[in-house]
Amino acid sequence: MVKKMRTTARLLAGLAAVGMLAACAPGQVEGQGAAAGPSAVQSVDPAQFAGKTLNYVYFTDGPDAEATAQLISKFEEKYKVKVNLETLPYKDLVTSVQARLSGGNAPDVVRLTGLTDFRDDLLDLRSYLGQDYAKEFLPGPAVGATGQDGKMLAVPSDLTLNGPFVNVDMFKKAGVSLPDPEKPWTWKEMIDAATKVQKATGSQYAFAMDKSGHRLSTILNEYGTALVANGKSALDTEKAKQALTPLIDMMRDNRMPRDFWLGSGSRYSGANEIFLAQDAPVYLSGNWQVGQFAKNAKFEWAAAPNPCADKCGGFPGGKYMAALQKSKNPALAAEFIRFMNTTENQATFIKAGGFLPTRKDLSEKGVAYPARQADMDVFLKDLARTPELGYAANSDPAFTGSATELVNAVSDVVGGKKDLSTAVSDLQKKTQSLVQELH
Amino acid sequence: MAAIQASPRLRQRKASLKMRLVPYLFLLPNMAIFGLFTVWPAINGFNISMYSSSNGRTFRWEGAGNYQRILTDEDFWGIVRNTVVYALSFVVLSVVLGVMLAVLVDQQRRGRTFFRSVFFVPVLISPVVAGLVWNWMLERQNGLINTFLRSFGIPEVPWLVDNNLAMVVVIGVGTWMQVGFYMLILLAGLQSIDPSVYEAAKIDGASRWRQFISLTFPLLQPSILVVVVLATIHGFQAFDFIYTLTGGGPVGATTLIVQYIYENGFVSPIRYGVASAGSVLLFCAIFALTIVNWMIGRKREAA
Repeated sequence: MVKKMRTTARLLAGLAAVGMLAACAPGQVEGQGAAAGPSAVQSVDPAQFAGKTLNYVYFTDGPDAEATAQLISKFEEKYKVKVNLETLPYKDLVTSVQARLSGGNAPDVVRLTGLTDFRDDLLDLRSYLGQDYAKEFLPGPAVGATGQDGKMLAVPSDLTLNGPFVNVDMFKKAGVSLPDPEKPWTWKEMIDAATKVQKATGSQYAFAMDKSGHRLSTILNEYGTALVANGKSALDTEKAKQALTPLIDMMRDNRMPRDFWLGSGSRYSGANEIFLAQDAPVYLSGNWQVGQFAKNAKFEWAAAPNPCADKCGGFPGGKYMAALQKSKNPALAAEFIRFMNTTENQATFIKAGGFLPTRKDLSEKGVAYPARQADMDVFLKDLARTPELGYAANSDPAFTGSATELVNAVSDVVGGKKDLSTAVSDLQKKTQSLVQELH
Repeated sequence: MAAIQASPRLRQRKASLKMRLVPYLFLLPNMAIFGLFTVWPAINGFNISMYSSSNGRTFRWEGAGNYQRILTDEDFWGIVRNTVVYALSFVVLSVVLGVMLAVLVDQQRRGRTFFRSVFFVPVLISPVVAGLVWNWMLERQNGLINTFLRSFGIPEVPWLVDNNLAMVVVIGVGTWMQVGFYMLILLAGLQSIDPSVYEAAKIDGASRWRQFISLTFPLLQPSILVVVVLATIHGFQAFDFIYTLTGGGPVGATTLIVQYIYENGFVSPIRYGVASAGSVLLFCAIFALTIVNWMIGRKREAA
């Protein structure tokens, strides 16, 4: 009896200790100690930075790494500073920067694909680069870099656009004409052409696309809807059903690889290998594949215009350069971002990486790429057709989570777990809940 | 006078205290590491489960909100069902195959070390690599196994894209990876059984099967209990090889609770509070099952 009482007392003491610990917040409670940025624009004298060190956390898409290193050398020479370039694998970027922020070892500048995970940590660049600096960039990409109250939380450093590629050899062999970049094909025309080529050439599939909510958003955008935009759930369920029906039909009769979609679970999966193996004549991905295909494709290929439905054009993506509030050299960090995104330096960077420009002047003037100019021009033409809704969707804090739910919804239908109406209706509820949670 | 009399008692008490302290001092380094890297993070994890945070630095008090969110999430209950199916199958297969392999290896007069090593090798393979390799082998169109089956005219089997088959595959690969470890525990248990009991049974005319049922199995029970406890823990914690093998698919059919925790904690939108609450629930489930196993084992030992 005494033993039992002792055990109970020990258990209660343990629980009380854990409870007391739980009463202490594990970190800073929201709303306390927000850092304030400088209020007036600060003038920049290159000499003021001499001898300082800047830490730049970077991830590479491949060909851009060399151009970045070259531009950093130029910056170091001009400002007499040292830049530590830390290249991380993309999948570790967010957790690694979060850990560094928690450990009081924040980098000065970071390259990001979205600002959602760091919005409260980023420096308002207006104080260093001026109120009008954002106007040097295209309005669409600039939306994604803008925070509450018009804060400029980052600079859009490159732009990507989703779009299809065609296997020219297979189209020629099948006697099917290639799409005209000036007059984009419709979804129906694209699927019909792909199916004809599949039948004529005996390829395994007619159409392939990356298993990605971002790529699926291209189709939603073309059908005039989006997952989220401007802080609201923007999904029109009828339009979403129309948009997803062709894909689901193609996966049901295996014109699109069903196993590829279902076999990777919740992981992202790129279908580039299916296109490179000539198992599908049409592949929906984006302009970042141009460099890779130029190097690895053993057949003639071309970028094709995005198919139209209610709207034409693709779905935008891209990267940002941002400085952190906890940077030890905020002025130098802002100056580094400005330097990397001057007209000349952004041109160097996007030419090397096969990206599209974010600067208005570069976009108006056009970019002369070292190779595959015709393919990049297809994307540039589609950029002009891309609806603003896409930019608003891609930059919304709830987009990433909603895009994951979109992939899950398609998987649920393809895997026979739900019918399309239920899956889309559930998707709408989930996007609404994500918007509530993240805004 | 009283002080003089108390002095040897005090010395005795001091000596006794020292004697009692010594074992704790020996344990101290290990306990310090265990406390710092296991107990403290676990308590902190419980603490974080009461808050919501997307960056690990700023927190908002949620109380039981994260637990409520998890327990009212339909997807979570599907994941719990998957986890129970996996863990239960894994434990049963691990014990049955472990005992069978241990008995077979124990009976070998020659090559016992060789067979022991062969069955143990999968334990040494990185789970991530094992998942990838099995994924390549089980691919429907170009996988090694379907290519082999096709050569006998057997149609392709959708190993990784059929919900039920994918779970069977995951259970099979999980068991293959761990059974060698459990076999070694059971083999040690077998080798500790006094051979004279078998000699006596032989003299009494007991068949091999009778010997196994009436001697080996009861005498092996302490080792089996260890295997059941370890396999239950492993079964509920399975994640890494499943993530590279099926990614938790198709359509979440092989998503287990650790993947749910991982995706809340490390995939955008990051929800550290929900991930921690999931971990606490998993800890409670494993702890409860371990206690039940232990109590059953003690009852049997007492009987």
